[in-house]
Amino acid sequence: MFERRITIVVGHFGSGKTEIAVNGAVRIAEGGVPVSLIDLDVVKPYFRTREARELLCGLKVEVVAPDGENATADLPIVLPRVRTLCRDTSRKVVVDAGGDDTGARVLGSLSDVLAGQDPDLLLVLNFRRPFTPDVRSAVAMAREIEAAARLKVTGIVSNTHLMAETTADIVRDGLRMAREVADVLGVQVRAVAVEEGLGRVIAAAEGPGCEVFPLRRIVQPPFGTPRLGVPRSGPLFVLR
Amino acid sequence: MAKKLMKGCEAIGEAAIRAGCKLFFGYPITPQNEIPEYLSHRLPQVGGTFVQAESEVAASNMIYGAAGTGERVFTSSSSPGISLMQEAVSYLAGAELPVVIVNIMRAGPGLGGILPSQADYFQATKGGGHGDYNTLVLAPWSVQEAADLVADAFDLADYYRNPVYVLGDGLIGQMMEPVLFREDRKPLKDLPPKAWASTGWKGDRPRAVINSLYLDADTLERHNQDLQAKYATMRRDEVRWQGYGLDEDYDVLIVAYGTVARVCLTAVEELREEGVKAAILRPITLYPFPYEALRQAASKARAVLVVELSAGQMVQDVQLAVAGARPIHFHGRTGGNLVSPDEAAAKVREVLDGRSQEVRDA
Repeated sequence: MFERRITIVVGHFGSGKTEIAVNGAVRIAEGGVPVSLIDLDVVKPYFRTREARELLCGLKVEVVAPDGENATADLPIVLPRVRTLCRDTSRKVVVDAGGDDTGARVLGSLSDVLAGQDPDLLLVLNFRRPFTPDVRSAVAMAREIEAAARLKVTGIVSNTHLMAETTADIVRDGLRMAREVADVLGVQVRAVAVEEGLGRVIAAAEGPGCEVFPLRRIVQPPFGTPRLGVPRSGPLFVLR
Repeated sequence: MAKKLMKGCEAIGEAAIRAGCKLFFGYPITPQNEIPEYLSHRLPQVGGTFVQAESEVAASNMIYGAAGTGERVFTSSSSPGISLMQEAVSYLAGAELPVVIVNIMRAGPGLGGILPSQADYFQATKGGGHGDYNTLVLAPWSVQEAADLVADAFDLADYYRNPVYVLGDGLIGQMMEPVLFREDRKPLKDLPPKAWASTGWKGDRPRAVINSLYLDADTLERHNQDLQAKYATMRRDEVRWQGYGLDEDYDVLIVAYGTVARVCLTAVEELREEGVKAAILRPITLYPFPYEALRQAASKARAVLVVELSAGQMVQDVQLAVAGARPIHFHGRTGGNLVSPDEAAAKVREVLDGRSQEVRDA
């Protein structure tokens, strides 16, 4: 993944596009290649690529997103630099699109500059999300995104997970369904993404016949899942 | 059903449907747009009705009308939108209509910003609109609990014939976590048929007129006395809270609700590793507030620390509970900034080494 000059990450709302785009840009930068990460997310208001701007700048990833007050606005802002970067062959570009066909519509507006650049359009799939529980719904969503983006999906990233509750079976089931979607779309599953630290899950997913892409969760709230190590007390609910 | 990975807003929408709610009236506002978005997809699938009203004022009066039919009714909004609904909430309380209102709070005052906040505490817990009334207020700290409390909220609204708020900071609406919807959930209460509902008069009973207008002073006073008796029952029966580390020794008792309590729990776990003893009391109901539980928990501590995403609103209820028995300290962030675990831990250390000033005049 992320071999072509432009990689665009699309998928259903909440499928994990932002984390995959951020991790991909970091990987490119670590290889010493100049890279820009374009935050085109006009759908979700929190947990956007721009919130990792400081960290990413330190890792030599240029973050292209509204700044100042506009960074935390719920406005569909597309910066002029986005079009320039699409044509700038001196840099690699990773695009984090917003969710669903709604988010992909912004890509449609850039189709005149994107079309000649042979971009990789990676579809991220998490079958544990409520609106893509099965192959049929995932294919339907892919078609909607393609129509809105005016681009064809060129590869799939299998990202089925339940955060800290992810098991090897969840990853394997997701990969199996992702392959079925890939067959319908006539593309390959390019990688299976697994959160870093879930070592046993990665081990179980090994040998899937595609790349295992270790994900570091970067854009997340400032606390973990409540651990039960601290003794609890008190009534959850008192019924008289 | 297998666990799903859901945004808080989506889980809230699904929980409402599973609670038998088929009527949603609302108006979009960040950061809760995914609730109407989700329901606009899902309600038609289950034979329900989704209406995007022309404003929050319209939506809140639509829920008044719809609740009068005895159906389960739901609206959601975020802080400025909830302010616009306050007239109708007062009417709902006056007419004793059961509705569930979800407020995914953003930073204020005024239009403020779209980032998380807990600064609608006073509005939610102290009435909010005009007249003597109260609403139950449930405050989840996780996506799973948001779904569970929405289900409870519908039962409580029907049982008390009263509006019930589910109050979440912006993160509750926007973060994603695994959620399980139990098929075997039982109602919290025995819920009688809604004989009061206005469903068309067939001549076999007195007309069910739903109103909050009482022109006679004595009649209105009796109505108020009935309402106050109902709120007293809520205060007696509906207090919910959770403690973390209360059975151990602790020097500082942290009081926090919603996602802030999770930040504080992360801080408390770090502090315990370095030998600093702190515990947490997390109110789950903000109205009724767990005064008695807090009074007892505070008596074991040297000091109490309130942490909120506001300028210090829950502090007043903590003061009422502690009644001067222990010094109270406060740490809050506003504007949409979050409290970090490091910040909370640093504040606990400051409370213990005397660098923190106690709250005196909140």
